[in-house]
Amino acid sequence: MNQNLSLEIKLPKVPDIELVALEGLQLMGTSLGISEAKIGEAKIIVTEAVINGLEHTGEENPSVNVQFTMTKEKLIILVTDYGKGFVPENVEDPEIKNKLGSDNKRGWGLKLMKSMSDDFLIETGINGTKITLIKNLV
Amino acid sequence: MVTDFNLETEKRDNCLVMKTFGYINNIGGEKIVDEFNKHKNNGVNNYILNLAESKIVNSIGISYLIEIIEKLNSSNGKLVFTNLDPTIEKTFTIMGLFQFAEKADNVENAVKII
Repeated sequence: MNQNLSLEIKLPKVPDIELVALEGLQLMGTSLGISEAKIGEAKIIVTEAVINGLEHTGEENPSVNVQFTMTKEKLIILVTDYGKGFVPENVEDPEIKNKLGSDNKRGWGLKLMKSMSDDFLIETGINGTKITLIKNLV
Repeated sequence: MVTDFNLETEKRDNCLVMKTFGYINNIGGEKIVDEFNKHKNNGVNNYILNLAESKIVNSIGISYLIEIIEKLNSSNGKLVFTNLDPTIEKTFTIMGLFQFAEKADNVENAVKII
């Protein structure tokens, strides 16, 4: 049976709310027999996407929408925020040697999402940003 | 779903072993740095961070660890991470932390490195 599991949740901007998404991801992955290594990497992707989205989502709708679609082979993650969007090309690729001695030691989210996923798409505009991440699970 | 973060410390030879329990987010990261600063101000220059009981991290929490690496880098001190979950080890590798800090399987091996 080629099982397909889906989960959609709207996460409000409260501390550690990303753990709710991780709990769902863990349960789905365990149910499909996905390896702990793959679930672990997917958790990093989701954590970064959610905290990034909540940081940039607008005051009018302080939440992010998270969707997972998982099969034994693949996980598709969609994270949507309701902020003002950004220019991905303007986001600097962080380097540890540049972070040492800098006041800003943050800014790693996109790099981690890209590095841990197999495909990555950003759609962004004045009404918000949708990030699509695909993770192969085999 | 446990979000509480705790930290235990133990002086071992010429270094301080810090063992974390729970999610290393902004709160966890800040607690680690506060504890580090307390001992750094008392002259301790070598640290072992045992992450056996921390299975989840985020990049904000890790940015606090970069602050520790920065301070040790400028005082010729050493930081060794131990008992890393494979995902956390991969995360640190992507971020380049092992260019400026070391890793060991466990605290005993970390003590030998220091």
